[in-house]
Amino acid sequence: MGSDTPHPAISGVWHPPRSSRTEAARLTSAGGVATVKGAEGGERLAEGAVFSLSVSARVGRIPRRIAFADGSVFETEDNDAVDRWLKAHRGWRVGLVHGLERFHPRLILLVAVVVVLCVGLYRYALPIAVEVAVAVTPPAAPRLISQSALASLDQTILAPSRLEAERRQAITADFRSLAAHTPEGAGAFDLQFRRGGPIGPNAFALPDGTIILTDELVRLTGDEDAALGVLAHEIGHVVHRHTLRRLYRAVGITTLIMFIGGDVGSGVEDVLIQGSGLMTLSYSRGQESEADRYSVELMAKAGREPAGLARLFEVLRDDHGEDDRNDFFSTHPATPDRIEDIRRHAAEVDAR
Amino acid sequence: MNDAAQIRQRGEEPEGRHVEPFSFTGTGREYFGIWIVNILLTIITLGIYSAWAKVRRQRYFYGNTRLAGHSFDYHARGLQILVGRIVVLVALAAYTALPYVLAFMDMLVLFTVANLVLPFLLLAVIPWLIKRGLRFNARVTSYRNVRLDFHGGYWGAFKAYLIGPFLAALTLGILAPLASRWMWRYTLGNVSYGGRKVACEPRLKALYSQWWMPALMVLLGVAPLTVLGVALFGWASSGLATVNEDTIATTIYLVFLALMAIYGFAGLFYRAGVRNVAFNAAVLDGRHEFASRLGRRRYAWIAISNFVATIFTLGFARPWAAVRMARYVASATALTVSGALDDYLNKVEETGPAIGAEYMDMEGFDFGF
Repeated sequence: MGSDTPHPAISGVWHPPRSSRTEAARLTSAGGVATVKGAEGGERLAEGAVFSLSVSARVGRIPRRIAFADGSVFETEDNDAVDRWLKAHRGWRVGLVHGLERFHPRLILLVAVVVVLCVGLYRYALPIAVEVAVAVTPPAAPRLISQSALASLDQTILAPSRLEAERRQAITADFRSLAAHTPEGAGAFDLQFRRGGPIGPNAFALPDGTIILTDELVRLTGDEDAALGVLAHEIGHVVHRHTLRRLYRAVGITTLIMFIGGDVGSGVEDVLIQGSGLMTLSYSRGQESEADRYSVELMAKAGREPAGLARLFEVLRDDHGEDDRNDFFSTHPATPDRIEDIRRHAAEVDAR
Repeated sequence: MNDAAQIRQRGEEPEGRHVEPFSFTGTGREYFGIWIVNILLTIITLGIYSAWAKVRRQRYFYGNTRLAGHSFDYHARGLQILVGRIVVLVALAAYTALPYVLAFMDMLVLFTVANLVLPFLLLAVIPWLIKRGLRFNARVTSYRNVRLDFHGGYWGAFKAYLIGPFLAALTLGILAPLASRWMWRYTLGNVSYGGRKVACEPRLKALYSQWWMPALMVLLGVAPLTVLGVALFGWASSGLATVNEDTIATTIYLVFLALMAIYGFAGLFYRAGVRNVAFNAAVLDGRHEFASRLGRRRYAWIAISNFVATIFTLGFARPWAAVRMARYVASATALTVSGALDDYLNKVEETGPAIGAEYMDMEGFDFGF
């Protein structure tokens, strides 16, 4: 639908093919053919069918580049004239994106939409995406992560257990009877004994159901229910798939910052990533109390002392001071609140 | 017609030498629209638009950077950027997943080998990625219809980006000027325009003259704070502490923040000074001399106030901040032209893939021409 009426000339400059040389020039077009002529002499510099030209998209007020097939380029600051000309000859609209970008009261609406989308992404889409990712994760993935993590730990920090075989068998038997009360059954969990060394009295769960208990924690207390309470807590982490959730969440937040953030400046990007690390801390505190409650419920179901975990925290609290605090205590702070929460929940479960 | 034309008349010198200042003509108000639409479309398209968003952002900044009445332009295409990003993401994912897969398959020997070898493999690939990234960024940049090009090799990047920072860290910053010299010689000294090279030979003496002041700042600020932090930490973990744990944690965190702030401030001072030295030692085609006169305090002030403003406006001051910095940096840069800039011929035919450039982008390497 190119028009045949001549279009008003657009003034600008022209570069010969591949050259930085510049000549003041004017672009005219008629009959679907664009012609660049020297601004003074009027000699013909370049010519081409309008549809064969490559015209750069409009961004703000930066100069427009109109490239001809021979490699020469006509450049102009007159963006509006180029848009009018394009519209007439090619039936093109002004770039949709540029239309949105123009400074206009409508931008306030866009800001509002962006704010709503960002809050929505963080509050709703991210948790949903994490749930979906957890749901579709094949069982092989947690096993992958766990075996690799345990292999690394065995090479670096952990050493084979020196616990007496009878003691290990007794704890394993208790553990299996405890795990039998989970929906997954005892077969979904595997208790491993290790010497903690630098991490001292400790217990932790890997996402595939492997639970590692250190000799130091076993020796810390003769109280069976206290040690079992810890194992029930770790089972809670596995059942609620906490490791995977935390992993996916961290990946999700970093992706959001990197891609949605776009241009926020490198300093601000660092702050956001550090800040999201702090948010993850509060997120894992939530996971800890969820695992605490799970421990209470599972212990009650297995006919054990529901507040066994609280007893261990008390032992750890009274014992600490001589240790260098790399233990269970450092990742599981035994605040009075926490012990109290466990006791309260245990009382509720007892009352049922 | 514009500032450059006026200054050109003032700066006119005999034998065809004249000073051409750079200038930046973008405005915060205009960039705000581009910025917010970039974010909006990126969210709506689940991140895919981010590649095109980058192109529009770069075209805005390049297109508004003017020298001698002409602007720069950025020619990368959105699809190129998108493919580059996808390749880098897939490669990084594979790199991360490989040890897991080996452990899972019970190949514990291979797992151990992979854990030892993979980090070195990545280190070996990084110089290549940087080399290609700098080349891509140069080749998608044009001025007056002629593209820039980059000729740096693998070992140059290895020296500038791996050995340099390693030496600087190992000597607690004492060799930082040497690292800066290598880095600027590599990045700016390998650029060419129309087949004519830029030479960049910043002198060590000049670099050290920009080094001692930030070094002193770090020494005076960091040493007492470090002692304080270590003392606090030791006291807290000695078991003697009777105060609330939260108070100690907060204090240690504040000390850490103060340390970061001092490093950041000294870093800005150093960066501005080194840029001045490097640009003042750079010559295009053996005759056009670059000049940079960034005020170190002014530069640090703009960077810090930009940062604070961006944080306190939840990011919405970013367009204003980015334009403000671009304006200042451009206004402090100039090219002393001998003869004319109109006899250069484009030698660049292809840009190649954007993989290296996107890797640098993701890892936060920042080097704009």
